[in-house]
Amino acid sequence: MLWLVQIIGTVLAVALGPLFVGVAQTVKARLQGRKGPSVLQGYWVLAKTWHKETTVPQYSSWVFRLAPSISLAALLVIAAMIPWGDTVPQAWPHNLLAVFFLLALERFWVGLAGMDSAGTFGGLGASRVTTLGTGIEPALLASFGILWVLSGHTSIQPIAPELERMTLGVLPWGLAALSYALVVLAEAGRLPVDNPDTHLELTMMHEATILEYNGRFLAESQVGIAIKLTAIIGLGWVWLGPQLGSPWANLGLRLVEVLLSSAGLGWVESRFAKLRYFQVPTYLAMAAGIGMLAFYLVVSGGIT
Amino acid sequence: MLIVWVLVSGLIVSGFALQRTLSTSLTLVLSLAILGLAVLGLWGVWTPALSGPELALTPLRSWFVLVLGVVAAMSSWYRFGYRQHDEAATAFWLPIFLVGMLGVIAAQTVWVFMTAWEVMAITSFFLVVSHHDRPGVIKAGFIYLVMSQLSAMAILSGFLLLAAQLHSMHFTVWAAEAKSLPLGMKSWIFGLLGLGFAIKSGVIPFHVWLPRAHPVAPAPVSSLMSGAMIKLGIFGIVQFLLIDLGTTSMVWPIVLLTAGAVSSLLGVLYALMEHDLKRLLAYHSIENIGIILLGLGVMDLGIDWHRPTLTVIGLVAALFHTLNHAIFKSQLFLAAGAVEQHTGTLDMEHLGGLVRTIPAVAIGFVMGSMAISALPPFNGFISEWLTFRGLLSIVSHSPALWAFFALGVALVLGLTGALAGMCFVKASGVIFLGQPRQQVKQAAVPKSMSWPILGLALASLGLGIFPGPMVRIIAGLEPGLSVHATMVLLPLHVLTLAVVLVAAAAGLALLSRFWEAREVPRWACGREAAPSMQFSSSSFTKTVRTTFAFIYQPHRNLARAGRYPRDFPARLVYRGGTTPTWERYLYRPGYRLAWTLSQYSTRIQAGPVRLYLSYLLVTIGIMLLALH
Repeated sequence: MLWLVQIIGTVLAVALGPLFVGVAQTVKARLQGRKGPSVLQGYWVLAKTWHKETTVPQYSSWVFRLAPSISLAALLVIAAMIPWGDTVPQAWPHNLLAVFFLLALERFWVGLAGMDSAGTFGGLGASRVTTLGTGIEPALLASFGILWVLSGHTSIQPIAPELERMTLGVLPWGLAALSYALVVLAEAGRLPVDNPDTHLELTMMHEATILEYNGRFLAESQVGIAIKLTAIIGLGWVWLGPQLGSPWANLGLRLVEVLLSSAGLGWVESRFAKLRYFQVPTYLAMAAGIGMLAFYLVVSGGIT
Repeated sequence: MLIVWVLVSGLIVSGFALQRTLSTSLTLVLSLAILGLAVLGLWGVWTPALSGPELALTPLRSWFVLVLGVVAAMSSWYRFGYRQHDEAATAFWLPIFLVGMLGVIAAQTVWVFMTAWEVMAITSFFLVVSHHDRPGVIKAGFIYLVMSQLSAMAILSGFLLLAAQLHSMHFTVWAAEAKSLPLGMKSWIFGLLGLGFAIKSGVIPFHVWLPRAHPVAPAPVSSLMSGAMIKLGIFGIVQFLLIDLGTTSMVWPIVLLTAGAVSSLLGVLYALMEHDLKRLLAYHSIENIGIILLGLGVMDLGIDWHRPTLTVIGLVAALFHTLNHAIFKSQLFLAAGAVEQHTGTLDMEHLGGLVRTIPAVAIGFVMGSMAISALPPFNGFISEWLTFRGLLSIVSHSPALWAFFALGVALVLGLTGALAGMCFVKASGVIFLGQPRQQVKQAAVPKSMSWPILGLALASLGLGIFPGPMVRIIAGLEPGLSVHATMVLLPLHVLTLAVVLVAAAAGLALLSRFWEAREVPRWACGREAAPSMQFSSSSFTKTVRTTFAFIYQPHRNLARAGRYPRDFPARLVYRGGTTPTWERYLYRPGYRLAWTLSQYSTRIQAGPVRLYLSYLLVTIGIMLLALH
């Protein structure tokens, strides 16, 4: 039963990823007064890219060809580790720190691929993406501050029920959620940190690393971006959101929440301009600071 | 006594230094013998042969012998193919160096320990200065020697203090009785011994020797120094300070955690700025020693708070990371040696695209990079995960300030991990990927050099997938501590994670038919693409240099040169760099002070023997008066 929920949840999260991205784009277009492409546009683009001829730049090696697969594999494992029902089967890895390290694995290979493309843009993207990672990883740890102190372990599994019993008040929860949301924007490569829509060398980060990709490799990278967005938003709702009684209901609730969050993402993206690159560390430090504040409220309040 | 035989045979091996193949083979046999000792000690097959009044191997000591043996065996194997200047000198000193390190670990009395420690320090000095004809090597060796001696003096004074308190020079007596010392005395001992061991391990701010000495040594020696020798400082801290002394003042866990956090963060930050591959790796040794210290800090806290779970997690994290770092760091140092032999340079800005000329070394280096960046499914991931778990266990069920402190340290560790990942994207990317930046020579790299690198890579992969047996061994090393060790790794399910990850990656790679792709020119905005358009090592880290400017204090200077430099500069000379903070603000004043003091001392050190004889006489007189 648990296995079934987990498998179906993972499959749905992977399959619906492009839809969620499409929703964000559509909301953004409507708020800007445009009609925008269909919400299913992501799927058509994927189908088209997958069937196109695949080329690689001169001087690249096997690293360039394998990197999209390894990055996507890391993201798939993350998606499979999120408890889409309320619990993961016991024999399945369910560790929050493992999620962090898998995100680092994905970033490492994206960076290597950028360096292997032997052009200027790849190296530029690799440098920017890995630098961004140095801000994201501590901020992500800090935004989970409440969790570490309440649960005392690093497994995702019993987080939710345990937190359910805690009456913390709105403030720490709100701060933790805000901190996590700020980190999600950075990790998923959305505004105000990175702009997924431009191909101007001054503004792009993740797009620069995949500039030389096309065909099947590009399709893999794009699926990866969608899965990453879905998985980390879903993870946020797992520990911050309400819980229902049955795993199936939880799964449905999570998907609706992710859908609403994508619409919210579209709203955020049309409200805020992109930050100057060297202000991003400050932005992430702020996210970490908010997480630490929530942590401090819990710790000093004597709730242990 | 088996250990004595191994020690003596090491001295015999060094006698054959002039016959290259014979001496290398015998060194390999010696290393395998050391590895054998470790196996005997760890699995308790034949313990009577390993115990004696002067030299003995306890399970904890055997663990460090294992670390030594693995690195020594692989480095000796590697030496079959490695060409270097002044082969015979290395062949002579290397076996004695190994013997010295084995002696340090197995020693049971102060005298044996200090003798072996000095043997280790002095032979490693001679190994460091193997390339003494190159500029700067002698100076680097000298700095190393001075720091080694400072470390030895601090350890000796700590030992003598402890011996005077317990009226014994024997380590077994210390293990039994040191716990009952008063806390104030323990703090003195902890401070002195900790200083000595910290210098030897290269903990910041005592690290200045490390990025100087490691890069100038031949690759197998760098690998041994970084993989095994600096770990003996860790051995000293675990054995004497944490296990023997037991409960200490609460200052010391804070000191350990702070030193660990500072070393790991600054180590990796300095590494990012390096363009010399071996110096970069040397700074990463400092970073990893910092991570090990974090584990030890957790363990010390567990001892002080009487929380055995913390103690075991800290111990397992620290000791497992010790072995893991030994494996992947010697793998990376050996790969660096192969790069140097292949191209004749270690300056990253001149390299590029080596994955096509030395593919085996490139695979070894990329795997080592993943291991040191703590990425699954490699061994660095497991031990860094354990360190995180230890720190986060402090966060819950602790006083508020402690929780805050521990969370802060965990954030620093997270930052360190991300920076390490970035640094190794840079190192692998600039050296092995892309297009060659300059024409360099391309000497062949023999199989006997690439196999040890790949062997170590497989070891780090194996330990990353099956960490269970090793974790169980470490948790059982100290009988007083053994807590349900298998629980430590839950809920990670390492094996499932690794299998799923690898299967998914392989499946996707097949699905994407990665072999089917046409090569086309890369995009260069419509211009002719040139190798200089690629990101270099310094442009890759420009963003970090700007973000962490308050640590680096970067400076740059654009000078005009030529006949009329002000109005018609013939060329512009650009110089940029970062400020060596510790050297400038800590070591330079210290050096000046020592120099000034030694000027004064010339007044009483005029040289004639009669003067010194009279000093002796006066000293004896004063001592007699004092004793009377």
